[in-house]
Amino acid sequence: MAARRALKAVLVDLSGTLHIEDAAVPGSQEALKRLRGTSVIVRFVTNTTKESKQDLLERLRKLEFDISEDEIFTSLTAARSLVEQKQVRPMLLVDDRALPDFKGIQTSDPNAVVVGLAPEHFHYEILNQAFRLLLDGAPLIAIHKARYYKRKDGLALGPGPFVTALEYATDTKATVVGKPERTFFLEALRGTGCEPEEAVMIGDDSRDDVGGAQNAGMLGILVKTGKYRAADEEKINPPPYLTCESFPHAVDHILQHLL
Amino acid sequence: MAAWAERLAGVRGVLLDISGVLYDCDAGGGSAIAGSVEAVARLKQSHLKMRFCTNDSQKSRGELVGLLQQLGFDISEDEVTSPAPATCRILKERGLRPHLLIHERVRSEFDEIDTSNPNCVVIADAAESFSYQNMNKAFQVLMELENPVLISLGKGRYYKETSGLVLDVGAYMKALEYACGIKAEVVGKPSPEFFQAALQAIGVEAHQAVMIGDDIVGDVGGAQRCGMRGLLVRTGKFRPTDEHHPEVKPDGYVDNLAEAVALLLQHANK
Repeated sequence: MAARRALKAVLVDLSGTLHIEDAAVPGSQEALKRLRGTSVIVRFVTNTTKESKQDLLERLRKLEFDISEDEIFTSLTAARSLVEQKQVRPMLLVDDRALPDFKGIQTSDPNAVVVGLAPEHFHYEILNQAFRLLLDGAPLIAIHKARYYKRKDGLALGPGPFVTALEYATDTKATVVGKPERTFFLEALRGTGCEPEEAVMIGDDSRDDVGGAQNAGMLGILVKTGKYRAADEEKINPPPYLTCESFPHAVDHILQHLL
Repeated sequence: MAAWAERLAGVRGVLLDISGVLYDCDAGGGSAIAGSVEAVARLKQSHLKMRFCTNDSQKSRGELVGLLQQLGFDISEDEVTSPAPATCRILKERGLRPHLLIHERVRSEFDEIDTSNPNCVVIADAAESFSYQNMNKAFQVLMELENPVLISLGKGRYYKETSGLVLDVGAYMKALEYACGIKAEVVGKPSPEFFQAALQAIGVEAHQAVMIGDDIVGDVGGAQRCGMRGLLVRTGKFRPTDEHHPEVKPDGYVDNLAEAVALLLQHANK
C-alpha cells in the first residue's frame, strides 16, 4: 500500500453500522464525537430508495447523533446528481417519501427514467410509459437493482426485476447509482477535496460497503453489527482492510493507526 | 426488383406471423394491415402451403381467429400454431400444475388443466393483469418451490398496438428470472420445437420454408436458426433500426405482407 496517503475523509454507513432500526449501536454517538475531534471530514453514505435525507436525519437526531443534512449522501442523492449532470427531466418511479430529494427537478415532458423501490408504480401502464421513453433514447437510471426485499407478509419484488424487464425490452443497460458502484463512492467524496486513497469506508455489508469502497481505491472497514454474518469478510477479494466488532472499535483503530 | 428475391426459389411452405403482419391489435379488437387480407387469399389460392404461427398469448385461439375473420381474413383455428395449446401438452406430459399469470381472455385454453397446489408458474401476455400484486404472487410461488419451473409463452420484447408499442411477455419473464435467479422455458417463437411443430403440420421441411414476421429476433432470427428463410415486414413493431440489427440479417425486407406474397408467387417456383 505504497500509494496510500494520510487519511482525510471517513465514510460511514448508516443502517446496521450506526444504528439498527430504532436503536443506536452502543457507544456510536460517543465514537462519532471522538472522530469529529480530529481533522477528518465525515460523510454518511447509504443505499436508500424510499427514505429522503430528511427522514434519515430525523431518525438519527432522535438517536442523538450529531449529523447535518449536507453530510448525508444517499443513492437518491446520487440519482439526483446524475440527473442534473445529464440535464434530463426524469419520469420518477420512486416512492412518494423519496420525492423531497428530487425537489426542484423538472419532471414534465420526461426524457429519462429513474427507478427506485416503488411497488405502486410497477405495473403494466406505467412500465409501458417508461418503456416508450427508453425506446426514444431516454437514459435508464436505477437507484439499485435489488432482487427482492422482506416485507411483513413475506418476500416482495424489488426494483431490480423491473429494471431488468425494461433493459431487456429496450436492449439497453441501466446506470446503477447506489453502492457498490464505484461512481457512488467517488460522488460521495465530491466537494470534500479528498482522493479515494485518502478515505476509509466503515460499513456492515461486506460487498456493498467494503468491497465497493476498496474497488474505488479507499480502505474498507467491516463491522460485525447489522447484517454482518460470520465469514462475511471472506466474501470479497481483496479482503477488508480491517474487520472489527463495531463502529466505536473502527473509530479507535482510525485514531490510533491512520491519523 | 430486389435481387435478394431470388433467394425465394424453392420455397414450398410459408409461415405467417399474425400480429403486426396481418393486423395491428388494440383494445377494441384491431385493424387489418392494408393489403394483408388479399395477400392471405392469394397465398391460399397458390400452390404454396401455409400456416399461421403466432406467439399471441393474450387471447384464446378461438377468439383470435374470430377477430381475424371479422376483419375479412380467410383463416380457421386448425391453421394456427399458438403457444397455449402447446403449453397445455407440456403441462400434461410432465404432470405440472401451474399458477397462471395470464390474461382472462386466454384462460379458457387452460380449462382442462389442474391448477391446484401449483408446482410451476406459466406466464403469458397478461397485459393490464401485469400488476405488481400479480407479479409478486407468481414470484412467491416460484420462491417456495424447491425446483422452480417457469414456463413462458413466447419471450417477445414488445409489440405494436394501434396506440403505440407495448411491453410483451418477455420483459415480465425476464423480471421473474432475475428475481428468482432462474431460467424460463420458452414455448413459442423463437424456440425450434415450436417452428418445427408448425412445419410438421403442413409437411414442409425447414429448408423449403420461409417465415414472414415483424419481429427481427423472434420471427426472422428464430426461423433462420431452424434452417428456414426469414423475411422482415416493415409493418407492426418494425423500426428502421431493425435494418441494422447487429446479429440478425433477414433474407429480405418487404414493405408489407402484400409485397412478400407478390415476390413469393413470382420467385418460389424458380
